[in-house]
Amino acid sequence: MTTSAVKQEKAAGSGTVNFLVGLVIVVALAFLARWLKGLVYGVEDLFGLGIPGKVLEFPIWAALVGLIANYVLKAVKVFEYAKSGFRTELFLKIGLVLLGAGISFKVIVTAAAGAIIQGIIMVASVYMFSWWLGGKFGLPDTLRAVMSTAVSICGVSAAIAAAGSVLAKKEEITYVTALVIITALPLMVIAPLIAGAMNMPEPVAGAWFGGNVDTTAAVVGAGTIYGETAQKIASIVKQTQNVLIGVVAFLLALYFTTVVEGKKEKPSAAIIWQRFPKFVLGFIVASLIFTFGWIASDPSSAIKGMKDWAFCLAFVCMGLELEVSGFKKMGWAPVIVYLIVTVFNTVLALGVSWLIFGWLFPASL
Amino acid sequence: MKVKINEDWLATIIAFVLLILAMVNAINPAWVKF
Repeated sequence: MTTSAVKQEKAAGSGTVNFLVGLVIVVALAFLARWLKGLVYGVEDLFGLGIPGKVLEFPIWAALVGLIANYVLKAVKVFEYAKSGFRTELFLKIGLVLLGAGISFKVIVTAAAGAIIQGIIMVASVYMFSWWLGGKFGLPDTLRAVMSTAVSICGVSAAIAAAGSVLAKKEEITYVTALVIITALPLMVIAPLIAGAMNMPEPVAGAWFGGNVDTTAAVVGAGTIYGETAQKIASIVKQTQNVLIGVVAFLLALYFTTVVEGKKEKPSAAIIWQRFPKFVLGFIVASLIFTFGWIASDPSSAIKGMKDWAFCLAFVCMGLELEVSGFKKMGWAPVIVYLIVTVFNTVLALGVSWLIFGWLFPASL
Repeated sequence: MKVKINEDWLATIIAFVLLILAMVNAINPAWVKF
């Protein structure tokens, strides 16, 4: 593609009007998801299969509606025009800061203590296993780095951070991002079902979702499906894990410049702050405001309503942003590696979260 | 001059604007009921 063609493509999809059109589509789809949830929520037995309607919580409807719209918008060639309004991360971060306004700071400190231990065990083990397995399957170092960071920390944003550190190709980021969403969407639904079948306490289930599901949106979705406490713990655990992005990005940049490329200059440690998820600070400040009693703890409050809307918009966008066209270019070896590592991640996170949130820090939550 | 703001800060600012509006009862819970 020529430079002018790239400029034209950018101009066609990134203006204010494009953003507003995309935003209107996302909001309309969120209303549709809410309507669908309301339609089946009170039903005792869905389709005669013994499934109560209330298990189909809004993250499932929102992601499903987003996936269908993804297909339809691409078929009618509107997707590219409107995609700048599909902002999963923005809506998710707004929702997470608002969620902080309903969590006591003491809960954050207690859960974060467990989450730090869990995060270090999970990130180190899963990263090294993924790196090793990727090597066995002959994947390029850059793809291995992006994939290992995505699967061990937090999916899409970690993949982008790692890609910047190792100078990965654009198609490698797109590919890993698609893998993350494809595995996270079913996990968002299956993990709460497994947790329910095991009668898992909500804090343990939340810690498991936070340690095992790859992308923050799906973690929040799984927690929302399982229960309010699970949603809070899952969000705290995932955000604690996300804080490690900067450290991993720095270590990767250090390894690739000095070992792989053999250069003498070292990357700046400033990358740790650059990659730090700043909205986590907003989440903590919101929690402090709540802890000081400046926000009423009313379950029907406007803050809770806005938080649910923000999450619903994020889940719709998650379905909209799924992109599978890159798979043909890369082949199936990375998919196999990713799926094996996901199973490893899921089983290990189950054991570690039971140990930490079921045994080490059980009473305080 | 075009000012580019980090998405993390943008999300935090939007969330705090909403939070403050809710704290001063400028947003009716019925309007945003999910």
